[in-house]
Amino acid sequence: MSAVAFAPISARRRRVDKLARGGVALLTGVALVPLALILYYLLKQGLGAISVRFFTTDPTGAFLGDPGGIKSAVVGTVLMVGLATAVAVPVGLGVAIWLVEFGRGSKLAHAVRYFIDVMTGVPSIVFGLFVYITLVLAGVGGSSFAGWKGSTALALLMLPIVTRSAEVVLLLVPNALREAAYALGAPRWKTVFRVVLPTALPGIVTGVLLAIARAAGETAPLLFTAAVVNATALNFNDRMNSLPALIFQNVGQAQDRLVTIAWGAALTLVAMILMLTLLARLIQRRSRLS
Amino acid sequence: MQMRYSKVLALGSAAALALGVAACGSSKSNSSTSSNGGSSSSSSAALNGAGSTFQAPLVSEWANRFKSSAGITVNYQPVGSGAGIAQLTAGTVDFAGSDAVMKPEEVSAAAAKGTPVHLPIALGAVTVSYNLSGVRSGLRLDGPTIANIFLGRVAKWNDASIAALNPGVTLPSTTITVCHRSDASGTTANFTKFLAGQSPAWARGPGTDKSVQWPTGTGARGNDGVAGCVKQTSGAVGYVEQAYALQSNFTTAAVKNRAGAYVEPSLAATSAAGEGAKPPANLEFSTIDAPGARSYPITAVTFQIVFQDVCKAGRSQGTAASLKSWLTYILGPGQSVAPQLQYAPLPASIQRMAQARVDALTCNGQPIQAAK
Amino acid sequence: MEAGTIASAGGRGSALHRSPAARLPDRVLRWGLTALSLGVIALIAFFFVKLILESRPVFSQVGLGTYLTSADWVPNKALYGALPLIAGTLITSAIALVLGIPVAVATALYITELAPRRIRGPLTIVVDLLAAVPSVVYGLWGFFFLIPKLQPAERWFADAFSFIPFVGGTVTGPNYFVAGLILAIMILPIASAISREVIATVPREHKEAALALGATRWEMIRMAVLPYARGGIAGGAMLGLGRAIGETIAVTLVIGNAPVIGHSIFQQGYTLAAVIANEFGEAASDPLHRASLIAAGLVLFVLTLCVNAVARGLVLRAERGRRPPEMAA
Repeated sequence: MSAVAFAPISARRRRVDKLARGGVALLTGVALVPLALILYYLLKQGLGAISVRFFTTDPTGAFLGDPGGIKSAVVGTVLMVGLATAVAVPVGLGVAIWLVEFGRGSKLAHAVRYFIDVMTGVPSIVFGLFVYITLVLAGVGGSSFAGWKGSTALALLMLPIVTRSAEVVLLLVPNALREAAYALGAPRWKTVFRVVLPTALPGIVTGVLLAIARAAGETAPLLFTAAVVNATALNFNDRMNSLPALIFQNVGQAQDRLVTIAWGAALTLVAMILMLTLLARLIQRRSRLS
Repeated sequence: MQMRYSKVLALGSAAALALGVAACGSSKSNSSTSSNGGSSSSSSAALNGAGSTFQAPLVSEWANRFKSSAGITVNYQPVGSGAGIAQLTAGTVDFAGSDAVMKPEEVSAAAAKGTPVHLPIALGAVTVSYNLSGVRSGLRLDGPTIANIFLGRVAKWNDASIAALNPGVTLPSTTITVCHRSDASGTTANFTKFLAGQSPAWARGPGTDKSVQWPTGTGARGNDGVAGCVKQTSGAVGYVEQAYALQSNFTTAAVKNRAGAYVEPSLAATSAAGEGAKPPANLEFSTIDAPGARSYPITAVTFQIVFQDVCKAGRSQGTAASLKSWLTYILGPGQSVAPQLQYAPLPASIQRMAQARVDALTCNGQPIQAAK
Repeated sequence: MEAGTIASAGGRGSALHRSPAARLPDRVLRWGLTALSLGVIALIAFFFVKLILESRPVFSQVGLGTYLTSADWVPNKALYGALPLIAGTLITSAIALVLGIPVAVATALYITELAPRRIRGPLTIVVDLLAAVPSVVYGLWGFFFLIPKLQPAERWFADAFSFIPFVGGTVTGPNYFVAGLILAIMILPIASAISREVIATVPREHKEAALALGATRWEMIRMAVLPYARGGIAGGAMLGLGRAIGETIAVTLVIGNAPVIGHSIFQQGYTLAAVIANEFGEAASDPLHRASLIAAGLVLFVLTLCVNAVARGLVLRAERGRRPPEMAA
């Protein structure tokens, strides 16, 4: 084999290469700048408010005295997102299982997937508006604004995310596993619950955690459905406070102490969501399927 | 691997459970809100209100004190007077906070629920706040000039019309940025009422309403939004309630009143505007452009609106009782709190008239027994 | 032969002969899940239908044409022209795309192709963390920090480059540009994640072939990676666009909420989502106003529907075109 002599790479091409690679690296750095700025700003504005008392006292709304803490907002967010998750995950998982195990390839599956995709694109405020019209104004359940109505809006938001991500992960489960189970005589339902789901579990958990992180940070749907109150509410038929709503309402208040509370709440919310996201990513990286 | 994940899930649910139990435990020491149904007789029904951001600081403070003294929770959402009135009509709140009297079409929209009753609760100053470095508080402005600024006819701070009113003040050539409300606001209604009275061009153009077509400027939500807008933009001017102006350390204009004096917004000037006001029987009155040498001309009356027959409008008996207690509180002991937040309390005669109207509220035709 | 000799696991007899009773759980599961999926479709259909029904008053009284093309949005005069809102939505989303997608693709390229192996993982996590910041925090940061800091630069840019259309003129604090910038930051993680996945699927052979032919790293990316990943990247951009169109809270805090069509990107405007957030409260008892806001939500819905359809089309086309190249004889 005669050695083929390639022309050496010209200086110009080398320059272009260096410039382009430098440019890409620079843009990547640029992408990280906002995150750093936001975290720094949050810490600067909100760190002063953080204390144990901050998390164990309700906001008082007092202008002249002690503004209290954010307990009701944290509890409200946990409760509302928790209820939304309890509804959206089984339903979303159920639809995903149906899409992958039972309906694969059928026309109905196409329709379902299309509708789910459509749902992914609906802005959260339109969900809030929908719940406002159908549940709040109509006074369903004997109450106007209520925690469970906020959960409904959040569940609508989470459903397509959970379904989509669960479907992707379920599709990744090797067919060989399913076939092995069938070959051993396992009925369909056993295969799904004992073989497929456990294998896909890390990916599903990742998807659920990401959906939770998304729902926890949403303000728009809650503005119309759960309202903002100061006291901790444990009854879902009552108005419930939530972190995004508290932040939105208090950040412009004519009282410095209340503004600091709002920033402390913002810091808390970001910390909660960051932890959920990191957890989701860690689980994903250790999964066998990705 | 599978075992580890189920352990993670178990841990997660245990943590959630623990949080729930902790929340339950600690909230037993505070009183939790009871549902709107008001079925429990041990704790009184909570009250829900919404509306004006103008009165929000005051209502917030009142709610906090009322909770300590009477044990009744009052939730108030500062969403703007227009939204407050709409929510009262829609039946999602027990009372509306509004700085604007309900318009005839709003009253007829609410007719299905009953007759709205306007109860004045305090007086507050609508300041003309500006953000201009080097210019101290008390810049003299009169009605026509302010109207021209908000019409967009006066573009720079060193305009002749402003300079003429302020001899001896060095005005920078900064461009004027107008900040106004983007939501339906009673503060806007009062401010535009003042402008319409001072400027025919304004009356013909944007007019008087809770939300108007602004010829120029940036829109923001709530008094707090406008305050934020003014704070951030050099050369900005906006109309915000006194409490917000004080909080942000704004410089505010001294506005020319009917008597020809330039008055800065202050507790004294606000009270002066209320003195001598003779409201009609339905208490729907305004103190804009009030007479008196020391009156601040853009003083607004702020109201809480309820239905005459509270229960027929859809509220429970427990709610009606709580409502009467609340209104009695804010018209009585609450009035002494107002000055601490720079709101002027009602003159005694008006306060008596308002209290009489509260006493006349009914529940399904019967007088209401106050809760506390 | 073998089937008959395999001992059954459940002790129910040969797996090939299952009693109807044993098949019941399977059937229950199947029909239960089918019913669930049909229920979800019904819910989404109801959602859409409800929105259309509730927005009918504005279409009958104002007319679809006027609603979409009139530039006067004055609720207290019963004028509902959504053109400034639609324009604002499109302008801010376009700015978000122009600013955000190149950066997203760059981060994806850097992470998959150029970064040292050790920092790839952490870098991925950090870029994805941008998605963890809630929109209300983005909006507040934009309002309190970004707007004041950017205003002098915007003014300089508007003056220096005023010959470019839509750049010169007055510069307001909150404006289209800041809103677009915040949106760009918000769509970055989605677009970057999808681009990363797509770029990772480029076959090794293509890249190695380019390098073997003497291409530099950048030329290899330009020749082998980008053309291959183009469809998927565009799909990711469209998904990001869909998110940008519907973003409410962050935008309403930084766009100025003025129902006009600004003359430059540094002037304020309004978007469909922001108007719903600002005005829904007072529309609770005014049927026409409420209907016009719901109609705005509907327009928003239709916009994202179109964008998503385009995204799916692009991704499908990219996947279908991914056939092995013809081998030269």
